[in-house]
Amino acid sequence: MSLPFHPADGDPVPPALRGFARAHADLVELHEKPAHLVARHRAPARRVGLVSGGGSGHEPLHAGFLGRGMLDAVAPGKVFASPHNKQVLEASRKAAGPAGVIHVVKNYTGDRINFGIAAERLRLEGIEVRRVLVDDDLATESDETATGRRGTGATVVVEKLLGAAADTGLGLDELAALGAEFAAASRSLAVASRAQTSMHTGRPAFDLEAGELEYGVGIHGERAQKTIDRPGTEELVDRMLDELVAGLPEGPEEVLAVVNGMGGTTLLELYGLHDLVAAGLERRGLTLAGELVGTFVPALDMAGFSLTLTWLQPEWKAWWAAPAVTPAFPRTVEEVA
Amino acid sequence: MAFDQEAVLRRFAQAAEDAHAELTELDQRSGDGDFGDNLRGGLRDAVLRFEKGDGGVSAFGALGEVFLDEVGGTSGPLLGLLFTEIAHALDGTGTDAVAAFGEGAKAGLAAIQRVGEAQVGDRTLVDALAPAVEAVPQGFAAAARAAQEGADRTADLRARRGRASYVGERVKGEPDPGAVGIALFFRTVAEAAGQR
Repeated sequence: MSLPFHPADGDPVPPALRGFARAHADLVELHEKPAHLVARHRAPARRVGLVSGGGSGHEPLHAGFLGRGMLDAVAPGKVFASPHNKQVLEASRKAAGPAGVIHVVKNYTGDRINFGIAAERLRLEGIEVRRVLVDDDLATESDETATGRRGTGATVVVEKLLGAAADTGLGLDELAALGAEFAAASRSLAVASRAQTSMHTGRPAFDLEAGELEYGVGIHGERAQKTIDRPGTEELVDRMLDELVAGLPEGPEEVLAVVNGMGGTTLLELYGLHDLVAAGLERRGLTLAGELVGTFVPALDMAGFSLTLTWLQPEWKAWWAAPAVTPAFPRTVEEVA
Repeated sequence: MAFDQEAVLRRFAQAAEDAHAELTELDQRSGDGDFGDNLRGGLRDAVLRFEKGDGGVSAFGALGEVFLDEVGGTSGPLLGLLFTEIAHALDGTGTDAVAAFGEGAKAGLAAIQRVGEAQVGDRTLVDALAPAVEAVPQGFAAAARAAQEGADRTADLRARRGRASYVGERVKGEPDPGAVGIALFFRTVAEAAGQR
């Protein structure tokens, strides 16, 4: 048992938001009632505000990606819970550009409904809204349910590409169409060797035996559909890449890869995994044209990682390489070729 | 024909007090049991906000704001969309009130369906709202009857959306509480208009 170091008064989100806003006061501004954060700077050419949000516990998502080149405002919910429509509404009012606002929404019922209600309210106020839905999780691909794939690791890819595209001055419908293309060209798969720690009990949210691996795990501590005997790391990465490539629609041969930590995984592991990913893609005849390694979309302190692959169209490369001045995206200057 | 928004608000608030136990019991069978509390609490707050607004906010405007901003659950804010659309339509000048109310309710139904993605037959409040909206041109009494019949029909439906979808067949035989709430709303509109 190992309780996390949260302040004693219950909800850990408000103090963390205050600490975050203090630490990054040059980049973001916090509003507490209702809770939302707004970027202080945006590219002069940007005409459409980009807003995202969702449950907390996935830091640095989404507030870490506020700033020039990425998001304009975010609405953080409680841990693993959707934000209230009022938070999304306030964030969107502040973020909206002359051509409107785009909501980047991970595919969960609560997020869809609350962002949807906010969008209706914005329309009544005369603000144009479009939604970009991120639904990349291959493990939840099913013909039997209407809910569709969950939104997970590809969120950071969509937010980066869409942010750079928005900075070129594109309009609302063009950006919404592009965002849908970014999401459609992305698939992710996550595994975990230990569940995240429950904030209340200090124990893992679900139990795994030594030698077991949760395969296709989500980012909210929900169990995967499969628990497998843990293979060697090389074999595991190979299997995940096979499934990701097979699960993606047809695409170009250039690919962007994200090796994402689930919260309790070291950079020593993540970089080692990335080395395997790069070699595995090369063996499959694919060119690695963009890469990102680190913890970007975790599930609290879960031990595990996710792989995201995005087919990279030639014209998207400049958007991936463009600088983003945010608290958490690891590129503040143009990527050097 | 004149349309007394304040009378609707006050009658609706009273009806929610009277139906609180029944709505709570219905929702305990299919959901998390808070619909009676949410509806009654939201209406109490809306009356207070309307009175405090001192004419600055219409009765339906107050209803919309409170249900969108303060009421919990999913159905609370969805009802808020309906009330807000009706408030907007009634604020328009020059139209007759029944027509304006009908336009607002229609826009509210569309917004609720865009957000919640529910169709008629999914055992949600849409099952009462959709037929009521269709019947408004025949008058408020017709709309109230259509809403009630729609709510009654949900007793034979299996939930495909909303929290009741998790309990499947077990809720058959009882109507959906959200649909019952809609029937209650249209009944109070008809009563306030003296059409019942």
